[in-house]
Amino acid sequence: MHDRRLVLLLLVPSLAITLLMAMYPLGYSLLVSFRDWRLAKSPEPGPFVGWENYKLLLTDDPEFLASALVTLKFVVANVCVTLLVAMVIAVVLQRAGRLYSITRTLLIIPFVMSPALIGVSLRFMLNPEYGVLHSMAAGVVPTLKNTVWLSDGDWAMVALVMADVWHWAPYMALVLLGGLASVPKDSIEAAQVDGASAWRAFFTIVLPQMKPVIAVVLVLKTVFALKTFDMVYTLTRGGPGASTQTLAYQIYTTGFQFYDMGYAAAAAYLLTAVLMVLAGFYVRLMFASERSGERAAKGAGHD
Amino acid sequence: MTISRRALLQAGAAATASAAWPAAFAQMLKPGKPYAGTTLSVLTVVAPQFKGHEALLPEFEQLTGIKVKYDYVPFANTRDKLTAEMVAKSGSYDVVSVMDVWGPSLVSLIQPINERIKAKKIDMEDRYPAAHLRASKSGNNILGLPIRGHVQLLFYRRDIFDQLSLKVPATWQQVVDASKVIQSRTDMAGIAMYYKKNAGQNLMIWYNFLWGKGADILDAKGMPTFNSAAGVEATQDYLDLMLKHKVTPAGSVAFDENDATISVAQGRSAMIPVWWWRLQQLRGKDAKISGDQVAFAPLPSYPGANSTTYTNTWFYGLNKFSKKHDAGMEFLAWLTQPKIERSLLVDPSKNEIVAVQRANLIDREVNTVSNGLHRFGALGLQGARGVPLIAEWPQISDILETTMSELASGKGQVKGALDDAAGRVRKLMRRA
Repeated sequence: MHDRRLVLLLLVPSLAITLLMAMYPLGYSLLVSFRDWRLAKSPEPGPFVGWENYKLLLTDDPEFLASALVTLKFVVANVCVTLLVAMVIAVVLQRAGRLYSITRTLLIIPFVMSPALIGVSLRFMLNPEYGVLHSMAAGVVPTLKNTVWLSDGDWAMVALVMADVWHWAPYMALVLLGGLASVPKDSIEAAQVDGASAWRAFFTIVLPQMKPVIAVVLVLKTVFALKTFDMVYTLTRGGPGASTQTLAYQIYTTGFQFYDMGYAAAAAYLLTAVLMVLAGFYVRLMFASERSGERAAKGAGHD
Repeated sequence: MTISRRALLQAGAAATASAAWPAAFAQMLKPGKPYAGTTLSVLTVVAPQFKGHEALLPEFEQLTGIKVKYDYVPFANTRDKLTAEMVAKSGSYDVVSVMDVWGPSLVSLIQPINERIKAKKIDMEDRYPAAHLRASKSGNNILGLPIRGHVQLLFYRRDIFDQLSLKVPATWQQVVDASKVIQSRTDMAGIAMYYKKNAGQNLMIWYNFLWGKGADILDAKGMPTFNSAAGVEATQDYLDLMLKHKVTPAGSVAFDENDATISVAQGRSAMIPVWWWRLQQLRGKDAKISGDQVAFAPLPSYPGANSTTYTNTWFYGLNKFSKKHDAGMEFLAWLTQPKIERSLLVDPSKNEIVAVQRANLIDREVNTVSNGLHRFGALGLQGARGVPLIAEWPQISDILETTMSELASGKGQVKGALDDAAGRVRKLMRRA
């Protein structure tokens, strides 16, 4: 009982900080989402309007729905490509050896770079007059000489996805490497003794056992992709037109450019609702993988 | 180009007044250094001009005993920072720098200074051109004193024009014709345009096409009129520089103002219509061309129409939540002395060209240093137009720049896209 009190007491500072730094802004912005607050007219929140902001967003705002669709496209493409690239990197780098070990260490570099910096750099690198990536692409495929990468909605989306994949895939590869390391080698060897090819062993033995790790990577990457803002801001500004205008970017412009705080808060809460569902999945997956790990450990103990 | 007699007389008067400074300024100060020991905090956008001001601060400190501390914020973050100040009702900055189009949405942050200006006997109309004055007001309230202002000019490669015996274009059609000659006889693009969505930059030349055709953005009731027949025609002409005539760099569709300027500075384009302050970049140390190769002219227009320019004005205002309004006004009165602005302009080592005061724009020495750039600025300001200074403008601008970016990428027809944008603006104005 004494220990329990001590535990609760020790938790108080972190709980207080969490409440102050996270719960208060969250609660306040939830209240704001039910108000009509145009910052240009008053620095004080306006009157309560009930569900009006949410209703407008979902029934009478084609731009919001278009941004939701752009976000969906971005997330699906981003998560799939990141997972694929990360898996390839992880499989290649799981071997032992000094070179592999150094490469694994260097993998963290793209992840520690600021997304805003990546966006700005890529914008310069894709510039059709002096961009290094553009010059390289045009050197390899001369017909690309006149391609203006960020002028077309589809190409701009490709650039955005690739920039984010470059940023995230190495880190996700490290996570997957951890998962690969936990796959028992003997079952792979047994399959190979039975004549299974490396591909078959990978798809029938490695991949099924990696499911919990892959699920965590999927959920985590989806959450971060949904929140993407910096790269959109620095690389495309949501353009051309509104072809790369993600929800996070639209919420920023609504709140901090148009000063429509209530409306922006409501849009942010719709996005938060999706994120919370995904976060719920993530937490469940984490606990599920922990529990399966404990069960496996207990099972091994009985043997 | 001619400069009016009145303007010349004003310049003469200003020069005489400058000689009498600082005695004249001392009269504006409250006697006995009542604010000595006060420290003012200034939130300002990054610009070499303000570094120049900062270097002069010891003089102000000596005169008043007031210390001034500058906090520089990059342009992209300035409005966010001002917004945070306004929401937090923070008085951490005493003087704030504000861009004209933000003014109406930041009125809760800025303290009107009408009475203080009267007390300081500053003749605003005499000192500032109408375009800059309009930009620093909200209704009848004066929100601040103009400190940084821009007009648009056409910069062109003098050497290329001489070499090809081309006349400096006065109309957009002449721009197309000259560009075609340039592109056929050099490896340069004719004119660097910028159609990328970025803080409304892809609209800033378009406004001049609209005005040149007799169209406008909003009507007197604040409803969209940019989709009128003249507006559609002007927009088509604006886009056709790239889409039909192909006299811009291929990358123009994804260029913002900076990319286009770099294109000229790197010798890849022969002309650019842009803010005058970009001249600093065109003749800067990173440019591949020399300052002598760049010349300037008023923006082209349509046959029979006068050259126009969109103006951009920054003003310094007092933060409503500051407790140091009196000391803040002493600082504003000192900083906006014509002599301060002039001292930066006549020093070639400063490479400074930004001026907002009538007298300095037509000052002989200033124009000798700038090769007459400021006279062109003064001339441009006579035909200067502005965008509607209303709280909804940032949203209208976003709708328009998104539409323009879409059209430039080859999606949609001008008439349909402008009608659609007008519908969205109408909806927005009704909701407001």
